[in-house]
Amino acid sequence: MDPEPILLQARGPLRSGVAADGDDGAARMSTIAEPVPVADQARARRRARVRVSRDGLGAFLFLLPLLAVFGLFAWFPIIRAVVMSVQETNLVSVPTFVGLANFGRVLADPQLGIAVRNTAWFAFLALVFGYPVPIVLAVLMSEVRKGRGLYSALAYLPVVVPPVVSVLLWRFFYDASPHGVFNSALGWVGLGPLPWLQSGDTAMPSIVIESTWANAGATVIIYLAALVAVPPELYDAADVDGASVWQKIRHVTLPQLRGVLLVTLILQLIATAQLFTEPLLFTSGGPNNATLTVLLLIYRYAFQNSLGGEYGMAAALSLMLAAFLAIFTAIYYRLTRGWSTSS
Amino acid sequence: MHKRTTGRWSAIGSIVGLVALIAACSPVASPSSPSAAAPSSATNPSAAAQAPVTISVGVLRPGATQEAVDALNLQISEFEAKYPWITVQPEEYNWTAPTFTAALAAGTLPDVFTIPFTDGKGLIAQHQIVNIDSRVKALGYADKFNKNVVVNGEDASGAIWAVPIAAYGMSLTYNRTLFTQAGLNADQPPTTWDEVRAAAKTIAQKTGVAGYAEMATENTGGWQLTTFTYALGGRMETAGADGKVTATLDNPATKAALEKLKAMRWDDKSMGSTFDYAWGTINQAFAAGQVGMFTGGSDLYTAMVQNNSLKPADYGVTTIPLVGSDAGVLGGGTLAAVNVITRDEQRDAAVKWIDFYYLQKLLTQEGAVADAKALKANNQPVGVPALPIFDKATYDASQQWIKDYINVPTAQMTGFTSKIFDQPLVTEPVAHTQELYAALDPVVQAVLTDKNADIDALLKKADQRVQAILDAG
Amino acid sequence: MTALTSRFGAARRLAVARQPRPARETEERGIISAADRRNRRTRWTLGFFHAATLAFLLVAGLGPILWMLKAAVTPTQDTLRAPMALWPNGIDLGQLATAWSRTHIDRYLVNTVIIAAGSWAAQLTVATSAGYALSVLRPRFGGVITGLVIATLFVPPIVLLVPLYLTVVDVPLVHLRLIDNYWAIWLPAGASAVNVVLVKRFFDNLPREIFDAARVDGAGPFRLFTSIVLPMSRPILGVASVFAVIATWKDYLWPLLVIRNPNLQPLSVRLPTLQPTTDLGVFIAALTLSSVFPIALFLLFQRLFLRGGGLSGAIKG
Repeated sequence: MDPEPILLQARGPLRSGVAADGDDGAARMSTIAEPVPVADQARARRRARVRVSRDGLGAFLFLLPLLAVFGLFAWFPIIRAVVMSVQETNLVSVPTFVGLANFGRVLADPQLGIAVRNTAWFAFLALVFGYPVPIVLAVLMSEVRKGRGLYSALAYLPVVVPPVVSVLLWRFFYDASPHGVFNSALGWVGLGPLPWLQSGDTAMPSIVIESTWANAGATVIIYLAALVAVPPELYDAADVDGASVWQKIRHVTLPQLRGVLLVTLILQLIATAQLFTEPLLFTSGGPNNATLTVLLLIYRYAFQNSLGGEYGMAAALSLMLAAFLAIFTAIYYRLTRGWSTSS
Repeated sequence: MHKRTTGRWSAIGSIVGLVALIAACSPVASPSSPSAAAPSSATNPSAAAQAPVTISVGVLRPGATQEAVDALNLQISEFEAKYPWITVQPEEYNWTAPTFTAALAAGTLPDVFTIPFTDGKGLIAQHQIVNIDSRVKALGYADKFNKNVVVNGEDASGAIWAVPIAAYGMSLTYNRTLFTQAGLNADQPPTTWDEVRAAAKTIAQKTGVAGYAEMATENTGGWQLTTFTYALGGRMETAGADGKVTATLDNPATKAALEKLKAMRWDDKSMGSTFDYAWGTINQAFAAGQVGMFTGGSDLYTAMVQNNSLKPADYGVTTIPLVGSDAGVLGGGTLAAVNVITRDEQRDAAVKWIDFYYLQKLLTQEGAVADAKALKANNQPVGVPALPIFDKATYDASQQWIKDYINVPTAQMTGFTSKIFDQPLVTEPVAHTQELYAALDPVVQAVLTDKNADIDALLKKADQRVQAILDAG
Repeated sequence: MTALTSRFGAARRLAVARQPRPARETEERGIISAADRRNRRTRWTLGFFHAATLAFLLVAGLGPILWMLKAAVTPTQDTLRAPMALWPNGIDLGQLATAWSRTHIDRYLVNTVIIAAGSWAAQLTVATSAGYALSVLRPRFGGVITGLVIATLFVPPIVLLVPLYLTVVDVPLVHLRLIDNYWAIWLPAGASAVNVVLVKRFFDNLPREIFDAARVDGAGPFRLFTSIVLPMSRPILGVASVFAVIATWKDYLWPLLVIRNPNLQPLSVRLPTLQPTTDLGVFIAALTLSSVFPIALFLLFQRLFLRGGGLSGAIKG
């Protein structure tokens, strides 16, 4: 028996999230068959509070792993990052407080402008090329009746290959000589050899193509799940109205996917802002800094100088990036709140 | 379905657990720990009184052949025979700018490690290596070092903190087989830059591989561009009387060097299609027969045999063509340093190791022959030409001692050995060397990948960047 | 994550709240209705699109992997000269053996598995214990803790890179050096806010009366955890496990920084280091051997991957 419809009655208005935090436990406790009278609910709530404080010690013990691990390896480093960003430190001498000098030096560095531009360029390319591909594939695959599992498996296979293996393999594919793998294939159809990673113009697009190959499968699966959940009545209604396939996609499928699409969009943007492994292994940020991303710049500040890194500058740039992403996400949610049909 | 998944999970779980258990129980051995037993022919009378000490040494690069490993183990056992209380743990080691600094920060460098000349003074200033001056002086030959070479490991007062163990001059390495295939005379390598350009074009046309290649990443682009600059008479930094260093990256020699590269790349199309070579990958490409010529160290033969399966008949080396009266050969080298996290006994042992493994073969016949025998027994190169760390006479003597063991094709190297000692050696730029090189990498990459690269603008920007670094101290 | 779940939740609730559909059609319908499918022309067009999609997936998705398998047993010179040819001079199976022995793939594979196992254990321990405490035991300060945990989700990992590295070099309070020690990977892996939130949400949805009944029977918090909550958590533990394993395989930068001893390094760190000194054919064989394990794991546990992995792709990007 599906308890959900009963839940609707017992709880009253639907909440948008599943379990809101810090909620009063009693309200969620009532999954019993009949609606609980108000007086009983109040009594249950009081009992719950008493029970909670007696469990205080147990709760603390259970929280110990989280507190220890998060404390030492998440919260403390975050605070340390903020502290480091206003210090000059090279790990040998005592760090000196330099105020906002690190931020100033980072902002004055011409490499920063290049890195920001490249990261934005990658984000744009990924959006234009990498974002639609999973949607198209998912829509096509959702219409497959027999053997969809095979399609899903094929789409997801590149995601399973370890990223380092993918990059090293594709770096060989991108060999710019006429006998390179891709250049040979292009030669079959009469197209000239491309410089791929050896030219500033084609290096970033090359990385986008590999990145799409390696990651699209995961998004396809998400979209497939969402597509399967589209209420069939909407399609029935569209058929009654005489809609063509394309119109059905435009007016039923995509709007129904809106929520998922918006979420994956912001997630993709956040991920592309942190592009690191691919430019590092493919081109080390070259040629001529054409694939230098913000993250790669942070890595350079911290680890590139053989006599000791600029850890303060690395921390400063990290914080600036974090602040940017936070603001960007906030604006994004603000703007798109009206667009996705909320429950 | 539920049961099947559980069954599979338990299966995979037990396999993982078993594997982990096995791995945890089996000792994690370093790539090549020699056996502990040492013959009791110790000549050192105080051996019995010494407490045992272990030092880790960084010697072989990742991916070295088993024979190179065996040769190293052989030499380690000879060392441990001589000093029975010392145990040597070899570790894989390779100096590159990004990995070194992370290892330094983490404190995971071996007890004895090597660094290029360029970093000696920087590490000394930061007290990240040990002052081993008294120990080195106790060896008895500290004053025999070539002044220009040992200065890289000395502090301001002249105390030795890092010992020079190798010195090299830049050279023009060329593939004799490709020369022959292209119809060129492998025994008459180019002696002027015009000849280099012509040879590169011929090789590219006749064999289809890159006639000339240039390193361009991981600071090697700046390193080779500086080499080229020196060969054309320019300098990257000038030190004023007041000690202030000025960056002179946009000097005419550098511009001319970049113009020559640009011509070879875009007009002659003789540089192939790969432009992101670093030190390791250009060696790999050369050994695989994909590169006709490139400028690099004169001692690459050893590395290419140990790591890249070089065919000895392919290797040829000659001097870089020098142009003008200010021209010189960029000289570099390697220092051996002792990690600052060592204890006193370890530091004593470390200096003994440096003396035994790196220097004895240059100073005593016994040491030279022992070293040569160990290497030859495992098919490792013996007799690769180098530049003197001490004086020329000592160097010549050391080559004489190992005459019977030399197994490298020295006849293929005469282009270099016959001329290098007459050419002026110029030290690398002194201040912030690696950062200077790093600033020039993008310039070289741009010239090689962008047909319309504006050389003047690129050099000016790099110059400003380096000047800012120099001004910041 | 909230938007995603609410999308599904709303859709499902909507569907349930309506009239139950007649049992005539057991499959859901998509853009093309069942009636449309009976139309021959539609079937042909649909078939064409399906074939095209399958072809695309085979060439683009499977192609590179198949090429890698082919090149793993092709001598280097053949791969360099004619990369698209199919074994012009015969197959060289010995190359796989050389890759295995010369590059010691087995050692690095074992390292990767150990790291994955430890990270998995760390993540699950932290997530289940914390999720249980925050969701079932609900201490007074629980809300603060949850907030702090979620806050870490908004901090991009790069911010942590340098200070975390310094922390691992010298752990405060205990002054340990965790470099070259797998705990340097396991412990930070445990600080995964995503897993904590996921598990907590799952526990929030468990019916409360079972807990009440257990407590009435006198079960303390520990008994409740081990005998009641954990056994009910299998679904979410499966999903969280997939997250954990996938994250370990993808991890490159962090193991690169903290595991310096080559004998302890996982595959992802070791392979790029080996490239300049390894013959190309042998190297590709090494790449192939490195992929066998995750691909085999995927083929075995496809359903789990496709269910949980899809979500992980959304979170990790």
